[in-house]
Amino acid sequence: MSWNRREVLGSLGLASAHALLFGFGCGPKASYEKQTALDQVDELRGWLRRAVELLAHKFPSAHGLAVMRRRTTAARDVLGGAVTHTYCEGVVLTVRDRSGRRREQVTSDLTRDGIANAAAVLVGRDQRIGQPVIDFGVPERIAPLAHDPRTLSDAELLARVDALAELEHERSSRIVYGATSLDIDDAHVWSIMPGHDREQRIVRVQQAAVRVAWNGTRPIVSEVTRSWVGGAFDQTLDAADLANATRGALELATPASFVDGDHSVVLEPSVSARIIDAAVRALLTTTAVRRPEVAHRLALGAGVASELITVIDDPLAPGAYGGFAFDDEGAPAAAVTLLDRGHVVGRLADAAGVAAGLASAAGRGRRPGHVAAIEPEPSHVRVVAGTTDRDALLDDGFVLEGGVAASLDPASDHVVVAVQRAREVRGGQTTGRLFADIELSGELGGLLAAITAVGTDATSIGVRDERGGQPRWRSIETPSLRSRAALRAMRRPT
Amino acid sequence: MIDRHGLLRVLGERPLADWVLIEHDEQLAVVAEAAPGSERAEQRQRWELTVHVDAARGRGSARLDLQTGSGLADNIVDQAIALANASVGPAWSTSPPAAPAKVALLDPALARAELGEVARVMLHDLKRPAGAMVVATAAVSREHVVVITKQGARAQWVASLAHADATIAVGDRSVEVSRDARRIADLGFGPALAAAATDLALYPSAGAVTPGSCTIVLTAEAMLHGGLGVWQVFANQADAIVARQGLTRYRLGTPIAEGAGTAADPLTIASDGALDYAVGSSPIGDDGDAVRRFTLIDRGIAVGLGLSPREAALRGEDPNGGVRNLVVSAGTWQDAPATLPGRVVEVRRLRSLAIDPYTGDATLEIALGIDLTAGGKAFTGGSIRLDLVASLARARRSGQVIRRGSYQGPTAVLIDGATLLP
Repeated sequence: MSWNRREVLGSLGLASAHALLFGFGCGPKASYEKQTALDQVDELRGWLRRAVELLAHKFPSAHGLAVMRRRTTAARDVLGGAVTHTYCEGVVLTVRDRSGRRREQVTSDLTRDGIANAAAVLVGRDQRIGQPVIDFGVPERIAPLAHDPRTLSDAELLARVDALAELEHERSSRIVYGATSLDIDDAHVWSIMPGHDREQRIVRVQQAAVRVAWNGTRPIVSEVTRSWVGGAFDQTLDAADLANATRGALELATPASFVDGDHSVVLEPSVSARIIDAAVRALLTTTAVRRPEVAHRLALGAGVASELITVIDDPLAPGAYGGFAFDDEGAPAAAVTLLDRGHVVGRLADAAGVAAGLASAAGRGRRPGHVAAIEPEPSHVRVVAGTTDRDALLDDGFVLEGGVAASLDPASDHVVVAVQRAREVRGGQTTGRLFADIELSGELGGLLAAITAVGTDATSIGVRDERGGQPRWRSIETPSLRSRAALRAMRRPT
Repeated sequence: MIDRHGLLRVLGERPLADWVLIEHDEQLAVVAEAAPGSERAEQRQRWELTVHVDAARGRGSARLDLQTGSGLADNIVDQAIALANASVGPAWSTSPPAAPAKVALLDPALARAELGEVARVMLHDLKRPAGAMVVATAAVSREHVVVITKQGARAQWVASLAHADATIAVGDRSVEVSRDARRIADLGFGPALAAAATDLALYPSAGAVTPGSCTIVLTAEAMLHGGLGVWQVFANQADAIVARQGLTRYRLGTPIAEGAGTAADPLTIASDGALDYAVGSSPIGDDGDAVRRFTLIDRGIAVGLGLSPREAALRGEDPNGGVRNLVVSAGTWQDAPATLPGRVVEVRRLRSLAIDPYTGDATLEIALGIDLTAGGKAFTGGSIRLDLVASLARARRSGQVIRRGSYQGPTAVLIDGATLLP
C-alpha cells in the first residue's frame, strides 16, 4: 500500500476510517464476507480435476488453476475505525497445442457447471468419454494454518490496529492526520495438471502507519510498513517505527533551492528497492528481452552493474511477502540468480518465454490476482548485502531517503527516481540541510556501474499494486548502496 | 448464487435511505502474437452495490464490489449496511433522479460477433509498416450493464471496448504503442504504427539534446502520453473533494493562471461523458447519478467540478457523473512551427510524464524531439519542467482536432518560454 499526495489529500476530506480504506486504495471497494468457501474446497478440486482430464485428452498440455481469495483490511484513523472484506474467485483453464500456442478460458463461476462449461468451450464438441483416467499423482495438501485469519473477528482486528496506534505516546499537534492499518490478503490456490495436483495458501500481511503534517503549503506524508507471509500477528510495527513515521512527517525541509548536479549519493533501502524493482521488471524478464535494445544491452553474460552487485529472485525466502510455493502455471518455486557480481546470468520466465527460447527455466508465470493474464514477474528480489556499515558509506554527498517511485525506459535505459528527501552529508556528518522532493535522473547502467559500496543494512519492502483491477504482490530486499548520480529538484523555483 | 431479484428483495426490506445496484456481465477476448502466441476468453459477472443509511449523526455510505457469483443476498446487504453505519459523515440527501445520458457505446460490428474471431481479424488485417517488426495484442470486450436505484431509476445498455497494443521495432530500436476505442474503426492503430515507424527511423541519426530556452511544440503522441497526457492536470484539479479542502491550484470563478483570461487562445475545457463512442462515456455514473456534460474551464476561468451525488448535495447542486472525456477547445494557431521566431523544438514522444496533481508541476522526459531551428535535427533525451496549468492556459492550440480515447481537442500545443534540460 503506497500513497501518493492526491490520495492523502482526498483522504483528508473523508469522514472516517472506512472511507479511509477507499481513499488509501486498499482495494477498489469493500466486498462482502463469504461464508461457505471452505466447505466447497474438496468439491472444487474434483471439478477442476474432471475439467483438466477432459482437456488433457485433446491437448498435449492442460492446466487448471483455481483461486479463492479473501482480503480483509482493518484501519483506524483520527475519526474512527472500520474493517472491509473483499472476496474474489475464479478458474483459469489453459491448454497448449503442439506448437506451444496457448488458449485460456476464464470464469468467475466457481460451480461444477461453471467449470465444466469453461472446459467445454475449449474442447468443443470433441468431448471423448471413456478415455484412460489421467494420473494426477498424489494430491499435495496443505496443513491447516496455526492461526487462520478467517477465524479473526472484525473486533479482534480493530483491537490489534488500536493497540498499534497506542504505541506512540508522544504526539505532535503538527500531525494533522494519522492512520494505522492491517491488511490481510489470503489466497487459496489450486494447480492441477497431468502429473500434479498442488495446493497452496498464501496469507500476505501488511501493516502500515501513516502520518501527515504540513510543511509550508504542502502536506508531507510519511509511511512505515512491514510486510510478510504468515500469521496475521507474526510480526508487528513497534514504537520506534511509529516514531520514525512521525519524525519523517515533521522534519522541516531546508527552504533554500537545491542546486541540480552530479553528487555522491547513498541510496537508502527504500530508494534502492524502487530502482532494483523497476530494473528487474523492465529489463530482466522474458517479456522485456523481446525488445531489441534490452536483448542487446542485457544479453546473458553482459556486465551491467558493479561487481559488488548480485541479485537473486527467491520465492522461497522465509516469510517473503512476494513468496510462493508454485507459480500460476503450476511450476514449483526455485531461486533464480539474475545478476552475479554485476553480470547478467538469468531472466524471469513464464512457460511461453521458455517455449520462445528466451530462458531455460520457467517458474515466474504470475497472474495478477492469480486469475488475470500471465506475465513473468518477480517474487522476492534480494540484493546480496555487503560489508560496509551504513554510517560509513558516505563522506560527502547526499543520502536519498524515502523512495516514492522509479520510472525506467527500457529502450533508452533512462531512469528517473523520485525521492522524498536528500540529506546532506559533509565530512561523514549530516549538515542538517535537508531537501524535499528530489529526483535522481540518468542511465541505469551508469548508476549501477558506479556503485562502490554496499551496506549491511538489508531491509525488505513489500509491494502490492494492481493491474487491471487485480493485485500483484512482490517484495524487494536491498541494503543501502553508494553510487554517483545526477540529482535535481522536482519543484520549480518559486 | 447471487441474483438480481434476491438482492432487490432484500434491499427493499431494509430501512435504507438510498441504494444503487449495478450489474455487469462482461465478455472479453484477447489474442496475443508474442511467440508462441496465445488466446484468452473471459466471462465475468460483477455486482456493485452502493447503500446509504441515515443516522442521527448524518449519512453513512458503502460500496461493495462483488467479483464472485456465489453468496447470499441477505449477507451481502447486511454487510453493506454494517459498513455504511461505520462510516457516517455529514448529512446529505440524494438528488431526485435524472434521465440517463443518451449516448451510443456499442460498436455495431461487435453487437453479436464472436469476440475471439474479431480480435484475430484485427491482428490479421493490421497494416504493418514496411521494414518494421510488429508484435501486437488485440482485446475486445462487450459488457451488458443494468442499473437499478431505490428512487425508481432503471437503465441498461451494452458497451463495447477495443484495445490494441504492440511493440514495434525498426532495426535495433523499438517503441510501444497502444490505443483504446469503443469502435474498432476508431482505433486508428495502423496509422499509429506508421507514425511510430517514421519516428523510429529517426533514431539512428538522433543526437543528444542541446539544453537551453526554446518554444516547444507538443505533438499528439507526446501531448497525450499515457492517455490524457498533459491534460490530466485539469482532471486532477477538478476533484470536488480536494477543492472542498481548499487545496486545488485555483478556485471556481477565478482565472486558472495569471493571464489565462487574456491569452491569445483562451482555454476552454469541458467534461463530456455523453460523447458518442468515447471511452469515458456512460449513461450513468458509478454512484447511479446521470452523466452530464459540464464545463471545467471557460475561456481561462475555472467554472466547474466533477460532482458525485454526495459532493453535489453538499454544494446544493446536481451531480454530473464526474470528470470523464475531456473536450478541449481548438485554437487558432495555424503557423508552421519552423516559421516561428527563436528556437523551436517539436517533442514527438516522451519516455515519461510525471505530474504533481496538487501543484500541476510536471516533468516531461523526452524520448524523441526535433530541433526545428537546427535544420530539423532529431535528438533523444533531455527533460522539460513545466507549470502545466499556467503553460497550458497560455499555450497556443492548433486549429486541427483529433479524438483519441477520452480526449477530443487540438492535435498539438505550442508553449513559449520552456527550458530544455540535459
